[in-house]
Amino acid sequence: MIKALPIHIQQVVKTYGRIHALDHVDLEIKSGEFLTLLGPSGSGKTTLLMVLAGFTRPDSGSVRFGDREVIRTPPHKRDVGMVFQNYALFPHMTVAGNIGFPLRLRGVQKDDIHQRVEHALSTVQLDGLGDRRIDQLSGGQKQRVALARAIVFEPRILLMDEPLSALDKKLRDHMQIELRRLHEKLGITTVYVTHDQREALTMSDRVAVINHGRLIQCDSPRTIYDYPASPFVANFIGESTLIPVKRSNGNVVLDGQVLKVSGAVPDGRCSLMLRPERLTILPDRRNPDYNVFPGVVEEVVFQGESFVAYAVLESGTHVSMRGISQRETVASLPSRGKAVLLGLHWEETVLIPEANEDAPG
Amino acid sequence: MRINQLLLSGATACAIFFGGTVSADEVTIASWGGSYQEAQSKALFKPVEKALGITIKEESYKGIGQVRTKVAAGSVPWDIIDTGSGGGARGCAEEILIPLDYSMIDTSNFVADTQLSCCVGTIVFATVMAWNTDTYGDNGPQSWADFWDAEKFPGTRAIRGKMHGMLEPALMADGVPADEVYSVLDSEEGINRALDKIRELKPHVAVWWSSGAQHAQLMKDGEVDLSTGWNGRFDVAIADGGNLKYTYSQGLQDYDCFGIPKGAPNPDLAMSVIAEMSKAEYQADIPQYITYGPTNTLAYETGKIDETLAASLPSHPDNASQLLPISQEWYAKWEKMASEMYTDMMTE
Amino acid sequence: MADALNARELRQDEWREKLAMFGLSLPALVLVFAIIVVPVGWLFWLSLFNDEGVLSLSNYTRMFDSKSYTRIFITTFKVSILTTVFCVLISYPFSYFLSQLPKRWAAIGLFTVLLPFWTSLLVRTYAWLVVLQRKGLVNEWGIELGLWDQPLKLAHNLNGTLVGMVHIMLPFMVLPLYASMRAINADYVKAASNLGANPTRAFWLVFFPLSLPGLLAGMVVVFVLCLGFFVTPAVLGGGKVIMVSMKIETLIDLFFNFGTASALGVVLMILTLAVLFLAHRLLRLDKILGERGA
Repeated sequence: MIKALPIHIQQVVKTYGRIHALDHVDLEIKSGEFLTLLGPSGSGKTTLLMVLAGFTRPDSGSVRFGDREVIRTPPHKRDVGMVFQNYALFPHMTVAGNIGFPLRLRGVQKDDIHQRVEHALSTVQLDGLGDRRIDQLSGGQKQRVALARAIVFEPRILLMDEPLSALDKKLRDHMQIELRRLHEKLGITTVYVTHDQREALTMSDRVAVINHGRLIQCDSPRTIYDYPASPFVANFIGESTLIPVKRSNGNVVLDGQVLKVSGAVPDGRCSLMLRPERLTILPDRRNPDYNVFPGVVEEVVFQGESFVAYAVLESGTHVSMRGISQRETVASLPSRGKAVLLGLHWEETVLIPEANEDAPG
Repeated sequence: MRINQLLLSGATACAIFFGGTVSADEVTIASWGGSYQEAQSKALFKPVEKALGITIKEESYKGIGQVRTKVAAGSVPWDIIDTGSGGGARGCAEEILIPLDYSMIDTSNFVADTQLSCCVGTIVFATVMAWNTDTYGDNGPQSWADFWDAEKFPGTRAIRGKMHGMLEPALMADGVPADEVYSVLDSEEGINRALDKIRELKPHVAVWWSSGAQHAQLMKDGEVDLSTGWNGRFDVAIADGGNLKYTYSQGLQDYDCFGIPKGAPNPDLAMSVIAEMSKAEYQADIPQYITYGPTNTLAYETGKIDETLAASLPSHPDNASQLLPISQEWYAKWEKMASEMYTDMMTE
Repeated sequence: MADALNARELRQDEWREKLAMFGLSLPALVLVFAIIVVPVGWLFWLSLFNDEGVLSLSNYTRMFDSKSYTRIFITTFKVSILTTVFCVLISYPFSYFLSQLPKRWAAIGLFTVLLPFWTSLLVRTYAWLVVLQRKGLVNEWGIELGLWDQPLKLAHNLNGTLVGMVHIMLPFMVLPLYASMRAINADYVKAASNLGANPTRAFWLVFFPLSLPGLLAGMVVVFVLCLGFFVTPAVLGGGKVIMVSMKIETLIDLFFNFGTASALGVVLMILTLAVLFLAHRLLRLDKILGERGA
């Protein structure tokens, strides 16, 4: 039995007036993959999801589920499960009524419906809540019911539109893990929309970053984080400071210092990405594995599990470094106004091409 | 009468707000408003005001029911009211109108049956049959038997939605001579006989009319081919260009009358005003403004009413002789019961 | 307990606040009592006296003895039910259409529905007479265009009454219906279609049940208002549509018979309450059905 289908998205264009909601998007989603569409609001990520669900008709392009072209298929014939941002649970039906709804539409026998609803309920750990009314459920429970309803008819593809955004942080963290676990169990191709980069990194096999209707980068969370393809991605995912670098005789130079760089040096103008947690305080310049940036500490802020030190480099660039709150690191904390040597391991020294792809549109 | 006490308490509250004071040489007359009251004002109220050197205030009201409420409340703002003969008769019976002093009011030349002990006639009108001249030309029905004859006069009819002025024509259509109508009607069987006759006509009844304005409009618009109704209203429709005619043949004679409510502020002066208004010289002016006949037949001898106009009025001797006067005694006795029976028949 | 810090003062403040609230709403309560409770009570009281002013139930027994009363009640309910049904048939698609439009366009649509409110009921009713009567616009055009050759009986009967009443009642149905349809999140219908419902099933299984509260509210308002209608059936019914209000008018205007008129009012009120109660039960039943049937 095939449990999942790949999704092929080709040259999908959707315009609203003069605004490109989707600008020639190409994306291959593998069978059984958990792919997250990540972007700021208005980036087009939700539009793309709606195109997959069939609620938004694109201007042109192709969407195939496996071998089947679905670009002209109405939503009710697409056989994809979907979890809406507000869950869209039918208030006039019970929990069991909601979950059984897709089965009822598919003409499943009553006993069978009952059995499958019970099964779906236990999958999302809501055993015995079938008779509850929707308005009697907590936010987290609604979330699970919505999920159960989306998977009960065993779709090959599951779409989720910011499903956790209405939950509080603790519950959200918990549900992230649970969704991930459920995905592993069901093996269903999942397209997940979020604007929360942390959520995207936590859950996904791959993350597709979208901005201004264009697909900017689609890679594994590690790659996306470590090797962002553009300043936009670098800034949008995690914290980073980008410092333009110069070229001299094939070397990359910053403040007169030749940088030891990991990976290929991109063509054209590029910047050095400094992530706060990748910087360390060095006692001296002796370690050859590190690029060293001298600076002065401006402020040290305690944030619970970590602390952040703000420093200004000799070139006048402001940077921050993050360390975990641990006895040793806290002991080595510099105080305000002190000179400090900030080190960046060469393997973590990454250059970002300064493409013009994120010019505001 | 507990019920009256209850009404009284409610009405007294209203009286506190609306009651007023009146001076000695002033009377207030309440009538029906519209073109009718305008005619009265020009022909009767203004000239009498001048002749007696008093002030006559005019109001419009909604009929005897209102008088009843005012009397019950003990606060009557009107000295004289104009009411239909039926209302007048009820007013007499319920003693909410006071007896008139017929030594002051000269009715010796009045059309027969146009006065009651406490309400004296002022104009005469007739319930007649009218026909659409587009449908029948000048050869309309000349009797109620014709009106009922759907073969001789195919077409739609409008008749009244109340039994008033309907049972008499029905009996005449059934062959009862005019002068025997009320004796036949004076029993439940008689009433049923009339109702059965109307049942016969029912399939041809397009509209059961409820007001004078309505039956005039129905004829004017050609909505129905035949209608019963009041002659004055039909005259208005004819004057407005409606293609219709009516005949006084077998018509019913009815009248409006003046009465004085019990507790009127100025009953003595009111009596004098009524006496004055009943004189031929004033009454003769009414037809100049509206086609209702004076009750005082001497009005026809004042020279104010020309021959053609006179011949068209219901109280003109030639017309009056064809009319059957409405019997207030019969209405007083049977109105309630016959009304219920009529509604039963209508809703069948 | 009494010694707790400021406990007594705080309790006093609470009382004072409650008293002030009561004081502020007192005029409204008195008004409601004066204009609703008292007249209805009085009505009931009056209905217990016969023509002679003696306490009796004759006003009520008369309704069973006389055939016309039953027929008048049947007519009243028939007209009200039919008007409600036609209002639903017209308002539902119309409101649905409006609810799917952008708000600005919908406002224009609503405005056109409300427009007749600015003309008097009497004028509108007579206008329908001009349109519907034997030689009215509809018949003249219909015959002119050869659609039919004998004038249709559109006025002075039940047809005309219904046309006039539906026209007048339409806004009372459209407004609550539109409001409840607007409140339905579009995601519900999307979810239904995502789960495999074609547009028809998505409508009947999801949109329609969710619009029911507005629909029932509209139906109740229209139905109850219809029960008391007077002018329109009087003018457009041609005397063939006699409703309770018209009978009451005759009783008071002609016979000053407050007793029977009040009794009619009381019976109409009781029947109306019974219908409302039934509707209420149906509404709840519907909710249960919706849940169990799902």
